[in-house]
Amino acid sequence: MRAARWVLGSALLVAFPWIVAAGLPGQQRYILHVLIFTALYGALALSYDLVVGHVGSLSLAHPAFFGLGAYAAALLATEAGWPFVAALPAGVAAAAVVALAVGVPMFRLTEHSFAMGTLGFAIVTQIVATNWVDFTHGPLCVTGIPKPQVGGLRIATLPAFYWLGLATLALVALLYRGLTTFRLGRAFHAVRDNETLAAAASIDPLKYRMLAFVIGGAVAGGVGALYASYVGVLCPGELTVSLSVNLLVMIFLGGVGSLRGVVVGAAAFTALPEVLRMAPTWRMVIYGLLLLIIVIRAPDGLEGLLRRGAALGRRRPSSSGA
Amino acid sequence: MVLFETRGLTKRFLGVTAVDAVDLSVEAGELVSLIGPNGSGKTTLFNCVTGYLPPDGGRVIVRGRDVTGVAAHRIARLGVGRTFQLVSVFPRLSALENLLTFLQQHQEENVLARLVRAPRVRRLEAAAVERARSLLDSVGLGARANAPAGTLSYGQRKLLAFAAALMPDPDLLLLDEPAAAVNPTMIEQMKTQIRALHRQGKTVLLVEHNMDVVMDISQRVIVLDHGQKIAEGPPEVVRRDPKVVEAYFGR
Repeated sequence: MRAARWVLGSALLVAFPWIVAAGLPGQQRYILHVLIFTALYGALALSYDLVVGHVGSLSLAHPAFFGLGAYAAALLATEAGWPFVAALPAGVAAAAVVALAVGVPMFRLTEHSFAMGTLGFAIVTQIVATNWVDFTHGPLCVTGIPKPQVGGLRIATLPAFYWLGLATLALVALLYRGLTTFRLGRAFHAVRDNETLAAAASIDPLKYRMLAFVIGGAVAGGVGALYASYVGVLCPGELTVSLSVNLLVMIFLGGVGSLRGVVVGAAAFTALPEVLRMAPTWRMVIYGLLLLIIVIRAPDGLEGLLRRGAALGRRRPSSSGA
Repeated sequence: MVLFETRGLTKRFLGVTAVDAVDLSVEAGELVSLIGPNGSGKTTLFNCVTGYLPPDGGRVIVRGRDVTGVAAHRIARLGVGRTFQLVSVFPRLSALENLLTFLQQHQEENVLARLVRAPRVRRLEAAAVERARSLLDSVGLGARANAPAGTLSYGQRKLLAFAAALMPDPDLLLLDEPAAAVNPTMIEQMKTQIRALHRQGKTVLLVEHNMDVVMDISQRVIVLDHGQKIAEGPPEVVRRDPKVVEAYFGR
């Protein structure tokens, strides 16, 4: 039953481009574009939740790792002519190496100082991207980033990108699940909930914080590389600190520390502003009001709502029988 | 065999000497109590020994190995378990998960093996769950295995923290006031548990204010006052020691 639902759901997701083409032929490009962003945002939000939700460190450096991966891959592809299959891992590696180097001093700071320190790092990264014109082209942006080519397969159409995005999200979700459940997950949560007691349980808090920070950063770098190759242009504006805010909205309103919650949050808060384009004047007002309502009515996020809904659904048949 | 000792252990806070050149030695299999009036440095000594506070002087030696200034998680890996005076559990994890968290087996597994859940890791996990369940049963929490630790009563959390400390099967167990602020039934249960540990050959060092518990179960009592060791010996001798009486009741 559960497996059947999984297969059906996955089949629907994979077949989505055809369904859209059949149902809304005029809108296909736009809808797929939004969905590709949703998948990339979902993967990025999951990588961020590893740090924020599971080891409980409020890092604001995530846009920097996203940008590092994007710039490394984009520059290697345009300036050095590296193929996508080499540029993508290079983007991942660049973000991971920098996360490792930045994480060691940053994790010496306590909670709030850690947030400020990582924020500082994110801002410095953006300033470098803007002003090191010889290397990053600064505000002129990196242009003409080639589309991904995997073997003989060139991913240039929207449906192909949609599938690539979907595969990325699935892969990141698997990694997320592997890291956050079972023994690794318990070690992460121990560090988050009670560092003193975690040490008494032979858990090295720094090791697990670094693990989440570096893996989260590496995944963000990979998503950045994919993003750059999808959009084809990379500007320093992509690295703004407001990306952290967007991701935090997705995570906290979706359901911090929950795979389903974060993905639902990423989908809702990527699609919502687009849906609201129907009311252009009031768009951001409605968006803000919706955020407020969710914060007030569902402080544990959409995941909390989904769980309560499921519990209600389970209770109803039994109570009617009694 | 001496399992654990301190030599001239000293810890100062802003000019106050909380632990003052304390020499202490515990044989393997002993059940020793550390007592003293409030502020006599018992918990500070515990924290220095388990790596939570760096000592300002002296040595901490576990099984002949100098572990002075070693990080807390490394000392825990040497088979030194401890509980905390203020009950400490992972409130969001279930009682069972709290115990499982204490069995990390860092030496035997790497991150990758755990990420892909290698068959060996799965076997260890199954064994860990079994051990955790039997420990929960032994402290009477078997029925609450899946309850979040934060929803347990104070006494139950105390028992849970105690069971969790036993999870990695430590050779030396440092218990910081296991009988404080729990009801008399729970105190009896705690005593039974500690005695059972002693019978299994574990070494226990106990900080405790409840004199009935101390006099009842300890083989040896060490008394601290103002950070200094003022008396040491069998319970019945120590309780009549004039220096101890003075420390507790004044002259």
